[in-house]
Amino acid sequence: MNQNLFLIAYALPLLFGLMLMTRAGESAGPSLAKRNPLLIHARRRHMLGLNLVALTGFVVSVHTLWISNKISEGGNVCSSATVFSCDDVLGNAAYNTDPVFGLSWGLIGMGAFGALLFITQSVGKEPDALWAEKYLKYGMYMTGAGLAVIALLVSYEVEMGKICQFCTMAHISNVIALFGFWRATQLHDKGEWKDDAEPTKVEKK
Amino acid sequence: MRIRMESDEEADVRTDAGIKILAMFFVAVMVLAFTTNPIATGTKVGERAPTLEGKAYNGGGWTEFDMDSYFTSNWTKGDSNGTWMLVDFMDTDCPYCVRSADDVSTYSDYFMKIRKDGNGNPEWQGPTVMFVASATQLDIPGHESSRDEIIAFRDKTGTEECDGSSCATRPGAAHNFIYIDDLDQDNMKRWKVAGTPSYYLIQPDGIVAWSSAEANGESFYEAIGRLTLAEA
Repeated sequence: MNQNLFLIAYALPLLFGLMLMTRAGESAGPSLAKRNPLLIHARRRHMLGLNLVALTGFVVSVHTLWISNKISEGGNVCSSATVFSCDDVLGNAAYNTDPVFGLSWGLIGMGAFGALLFITQSVGKEPDALWAEKYLKYGMYMTGAGLAVIALLVSYEVEMGKICQFCTMAHISNVIALFGFWRATQLHDKGEWKDDAEPTKVEKK
Repeated sequence: MRIRMESDEEADVRTDAGIKILAMFFVAVMVLAFTTNPIATGTKVGERAPTLEGKAYNGGGWTEFDMDSYFTSNWTKGDSNGTWMLVDFMDTDCPYCVRSADDVSTYSDYFMKIRKDGNGNPEWQGPTVMFVASATQLDIPGHESSRDEIIAFRDKTGTEECDGSSCATRPGAAHNFIYIDDLDQDNMKRWKVAGTPSYYLIQPDGIVAWSSAEANGESFYEAIGRLTLAEA
């Protein structure tokens, strides 16, 4: 099966999640509210978007680990003569595990996005809990630290002269999640966090 | 009791979320476990051999070496068509490498089916074993090497010195297999080679079948005879 189809399948929820967390989501609020009235609230839309992004990151990480395993069996999953060849990146034993514990990057991604999902799920369901704001900050720190890991992995790709599309999708998920956690703290600060906060600007019209 | 559970305000969604995420994690791990059979990359027997990279000298010139192009990923045990690979990590100034060059000459020609019998047929009837040398430069005084020295060692030509003597006079005949330039020790470090010479016999599917580090006294040619014939 063409692996690029998977990439498209991953890009869609990622873009939709990002849309929900930006001004585009604000505009889409009323139409989304027709399907689910609760989505009229900025915080609910935002957390739905953040959940989608974290879930996509988790699934992409699982897929990346699956590809790594398949390559280790001797199979070709997404090898290509072009610069986009995840086989060459994930199959390179010198770079496909972390330098400290030797864990596959896919497994690390699963753990990281699993933790982010735990945060988004918990905060989404109990947004007014005393720990909610603290958890959002943890998410922001985690995804912020993820930038350093992304920088390391991109440096590997530059060295190899190859790009792993699936890894890049996971990196993008992390960056969008970082934006999502940052914006969630902003919603807190601006008083748009609670359900009884003022509806979106579009709603006021 | 039932009423109390339904209206319990002490419940914490974190437990619920934690269980959900863990369940998802385990489902993912199970899917991976049922659909893949990962093989670790390394140089122990049964592991997938790391890549060998670098410019390779084949007697004519230096070209890029692509190890993976020699492997057959769908090779199965018993298939005699696959080409095995004997990787020889060596240093042109290592005394034991120079002494063992004679054995390497003899057995590389034999297992690469270069040596023929009276009828012009290869003397070796088993699967072809391709020899590849990764020539490094150990961090020991007096072990300064170069591409010219690698050529001299392989071809037994030139005026370069190997272990204090002319490379042209080293034991054994000229070698007929590829020599990879690993003077920067990249391959040696990737393969975690402890010393030279070190030999690794690789199956046609890229899995390490034998390593001199785990050999318990068995020589590389004995291992080739034992393993390639057993699997063919």
